Amino acid sequence: MAKFITKRVAQMLLLFIVFLTVVFFLLEAQPGDLTQQYIGNPEIPPEQKAVLAERLGLDKPVGARYLAYMGNFFTGNFGNSLSQWPRPVSEMILEALPRTLVLFLSATLLAYYLGFVTGKVLAWRRGKFTEYALTLGGVGLYTVFYPWFALLMIWGFGFMLTDWVGFRVFPINKFIDVQDWVGSPFSANHVFLRMITVAALSMLAAAITTMIARRRLELAPALRVRNFAFLAGVLYPFVYFAMSPMRPYAADIFHHTLLPVMTLSLVAFAGIMLLTRASMLETLREDFILTARAKGLSEKVIRDRHAARNALLPVVTSLVLALAFVIGGGIITETVFSWPGIGLLLLSAVTLEDIPLAIGCLSIIAVLALFGHLVADIIYMYLDPRIRYQ
Amino acid sequence: MTDLDTKATPSLRMREPEPPGHELLEPEPLWRVRLRLMRKTFGRNWKLFARNKIGLVGLTIIGIFALMALLHPILMDRVWDPAIYDPVKGYDAVITDFVIVEEVTDPFHEISLADAQLETNPFVEVGETVSIPLQPAPPSKAHWLGTDPVGRDILSQLMYSTRAAFALGAIAAIFAVFIATTIGSMAAFYGGWLDAVLMRFADLVLLVPLIPILIVVSALFNLNLPLLGILLGVLSGFGGTAIVLKSQALSVTVKPFVDAARVAGGTNRHIIFRHIIPNVLPLSFLYMMFTVTDAISLEATLSFLGLMNTPMSWGIMIYTTHSQGYLLSGTSYWWLLIPAGMAVTLVAASFFLVGRAMDEVINPRLRRR
Amino acid sequence: MQTIPSPAGAPPRDRTDAALLEVDNLTMEYEVDGGNVSAVSNVSFALHAGESLGLVGESGCGKTSVAMSLLRLQADNARFREGEIRLNGEDLLPLSEAEMRTHRWKDISMVFQGAMNAWNPVQRVGAQILEAINLHIKPRPTAAEARKRMEDLFNLVGVDPKMLDRYPHEFSGGMRQRAIIAMALSCDPQIIIADEPTTALDVIVQDQILAQLLRIQKELGMAIIYISHDIAVIAEVTQKIAVMYAGRIVEIGPTEEVFANPRHPYGYLLLHSAPSITGPRRRLAPLKGEPPNLLNPPTGCRFHPRCPFATEKCVVESPPLQEVSPGHSVECWHWDKVPSMAEEGHA
Ligand SMILES: Nc1ncnc2c1ncn2[C@@H]1O[C@H](COP(=O)(O)OP(=O)(O)O)[C@@H](O)[C@H]1O
Ligand SMILES: [Mg+2]
Repeated sequence: MAKFITKRVAQMLLLFIVFLTVVFFLLEAQPGDLTQQYIGNPEIPPEQKAVLAERLGLDKPVGARYLAYMGNFFTGNFGNSLSQWPRPVSEMILEALPRTLVLFLSATLLAYYLGFVTGKVLAWRRGKFTEYALTLGGVGLYTVFYPWFALLMIWGFGFMLTDWVGFRVFPINKFIDVQDWVGSPFSANHVFLRMITVAALSMLAAAITTMIARRRLELAPALRVRNFAFLAGVLYPFVYFAMSPMRPYAADIFHHTLLPVMTLSLVAFAGIMLLTRASMLETLREDFILTARAKGLSEKVIRDRHAARNALLPVVTSLVLALAFVIGGGIITETVFSWPGIGLLLLSAVTLEDIPLAIGCLSIIAVLALFGHLVADIIYMYLDPRIRYQ
Repeated sequence: MTDLDTKATPSLRMREPEPPGHELLEPEPLWRVRLRLMRKTFGRNWKLFARNKIGLVGLTIIGIFALMALLHPILMDRVWDPAIYDPVKGYDAVITDFVIVEEVTDPFHEISLADAQLETNPFVEVGETVSIPLQPAPPSKAHWLGTDPVGRDILSQLMYSTRAAFALGAIAAIFAVFIATTIGSMAAFYGGWLDAVLMRFADLVLLVPLIPILIVVSALFNLNLPLLGILLGVLSGFGGTAIVLKSQALSVTVKPFVDAARVAGGTNRHIIFRHIIPNVLPLSFLYMMFTVTDAISLEATLSFLGLMNTPMSWGIMIYTTHSQGYLLSGTSYWWLLIPAGMAVTLVAASFFLVGRAMDEVINPRLRRR
Repeated sequence: MQTIPSPAGAPPRDRTDAALLEVDNLTMEYEVDGGNVSAVSNVSFALHAGESLGLVGESGCGKTSVAMSLLRLQADNARFREGEIRLNGEDLLPLSEAEMRTHRWKDISMVFQGAMNAWNPVQRVGAQILEAINLHIKPRPTAAEARKRMEDLFNLVGVDPKMLDRYPHEFSGGMRQRAIIAMALSCDPQIIIADEPTTALDVIVQDQILAQLLRIQKELGMAIIYISHDIAVIAEVTQKIAVMYAGRIVEIGPTEEVFANPRHPYGYLLLHSAPSITGPRRRLAPLKGEPPNLLNPPTGCRFHPRCPFATEKCVVESPPLQEVSPGHSVECWHWDKVPSMAEEGHA
């Protein structure tokens, strides 16, 4: 198992190097070159230009430039932003990263959980009205032009709903309401980081409790412990912030995350639901389902313990594709909702021709994708004994 | 229960070439036999396809949009005045009477004093009526879908963009399928290191999210429709499509007729072109559909982000609406957002649905019992 | 447990003692696009405690359909049109799903055709057997008792009990099928249905498993319905044999008797189209033509298109099931002509 993971990590690293190489050649192939952008930038003081040229190996041949480029990456040195000279790119990325992570993670988790549960039930109700309605809705959501859908969500939940109920249920953009933060003793980033930490820790605690229960207890009480632990894990952060002095600020940030997360999750959810349904239908034709029925097991046990557990495998494999989707969708979400994450950073970098920042963002996104892939692989390995015990 | 699959009508994929002896017996020329067989297969597959109502709906929508794309140049040539209706350079000031009021409640018939003074002369007063061009103008006889924030006809833009979208989809799909079929067949046929390298590479392409890459590419290069089409085609051709087609090709290489061809002394080229590729082709067509879907929505997304260098497209239409600030003005400007958004969604979804319906024809396992 | 005489020499049972399972006039069809597939048509037979019945016929004649019907595991598009399936006198067809579930595996268990895929690939084999034990054995055994039981069963079928903690993919094909047999035995069923249990395996393993099944059945004394398209296999393991053709049982009787004196032309041809392993060498008789399409089966006797004795009557009228000797019944107008087939050069 450790061997498997090591192998995968090595593979990912190799892939990342290939990726960086491709990006390097893209940069080399662009009309004009990087030199001009540095030389031409009036904000960069002349003595800095020499340092930059040195660092990027601008005056050296391609090979040396390539090595310098790779070296810079693996030392975490992404250079300085051109548009916000001289802020280091890494600092800007580090600031935006948690926001993006929260958006991606919560959307992915929500979409997966809800998509799997609905898809599973859907496959079981073959031919019923709910199946048609949900499948059709799913295909609609899956194929809808996402930026447009996000705009419609803003339209619907931001404006129509506000008009209808008379107050603003969902804020429509940005990360915080600036005027509420005037005189705040906390910085937005500080509050946000605390929120992430608390949520992550409490989920971790829930997961560990569940694992222990699995080992120690019988199936039925273990399931009860799991449900309770996860409920508590979800509720605890709310209790924590309700009692903390950060309450109004945390609430503001949480309020702003709702609509973007909901929008992104909804679209990702549709894909997962359709996939689970298809995978379930495929699994239900397997012989072992017939065995399970012959054994006299109840429909629910067959569905959850035999069919769903196997149908989950292709769904986990699809995490890679879903990830690409969530990343693309995440960038659009950030744009539409003015959510200051990596995607928005990337977009503004590109519009301002801030190439170092753009490349930095792109690489981080690639790392995220690779990491997600690795996680998917590990989950898959955990779920499929045929791979686990190779 | 399990017997059912074998009972199902032979699929495209199972179709084996007629044995050569059979062809010799036929007095008619070979191409006629082939044509007849093709027609028969097509007829049978069409019947299977037509069973899927959703696929038919998709096909119909594609047909309607294709008609619109074809009609546009004719309309521009014969009916519409290019000065007014050109999707990019046209301009029509729909002169409208506005009443000057203190507080505007109806933006199509009322105007605030400040705006009126700005648009006409500083001496107008509240209560007077002024005639000024209205843009965006709501749908009218002259402009069925209204005009955009700079006075251009929306319907003309919509039709023009359809052509662009179809062209983009076609370029991407052709490139994708050409590349994927080639490398998929080669990887399956030769195996070994070639297979390993190509498939690793496909993994990489599949893994790296497209949109961020394209965003960066747009900063480095002049990203126009043909370039985007080629780029998407190449990426899809080396990525996901290649993987799928390879596994399909692999299932063909183990079929007895490939061995037979080999024993009969067929060259590798002969086997690849005569046996493997024809059997992979149906699936290739299927993936063409999915590539078109992806290409259309990606183009619209990039345009929406303002990164495409193209005169007009559905994405640009939404971008214009967005960048001119008409997005969040509620339902009153629906024609700025709904037609273009619907067009992208409908066309992309239709290609997707047609692809799914074709999947059911090609892949008997998916068929409803 | 009762002592069972060896299958080959078993005397015909007393008809009056209540049968364990009685299938009466069972008729089942599959609804498909073009109409109804008449897969099971007026099938009747009885199975007594400890008895072994063979169901034989060409592939596609409805054997699996009968087997699935007994457990009410028929496909979604299957419709019962007529008949009863009585287990200990209780008709199973009108039962609710929940009631039916209590009979599955507890009273009737099954060894499936596709041994390879009959196990859930992501669950340990032991856990899958335990699932059945915990569901059906009352009072529910403790973990240790259940474990003991599973180990005994594995020993019985000749698989290392350590394998209980392994996953199905770690088993060989033969081992998987043995483990399935162990699972089928796990709740002391009264009847085991074995649907082509050895078809997918290689010949040597087939023989071993067959012998084992025979031994276990003798040892534990449950009734068994053994389904196969291979009449040689049936001959080895059953006391009673039912020959199916196109959804109907055309001949049924004690195995010895049917083998010695087949009275249905199909039964005769089926017997003679397989090389005999027990009897003297004989020439193989050809069984011409294809089994009929059950979407619209032939009128009258369903075998008439392939029958050497077919007359006008056979085309029009379906023959009744006639008892030709004690316990041996045939559905044929011309059963008395069948013995002449040997002379006429069919064999
Ligand atoms: N679900 C189904 N729908 C329609 N026809 C079926 C279905 N299952 C089986 N059949 C048909 O019913 C007939 C009997 O099948 P089966 O019971 O599997 O035969 P056997 O087990 O003897 O090979 C076959 O013609 C088969 O094609
Ligand atoms: Mg069968």
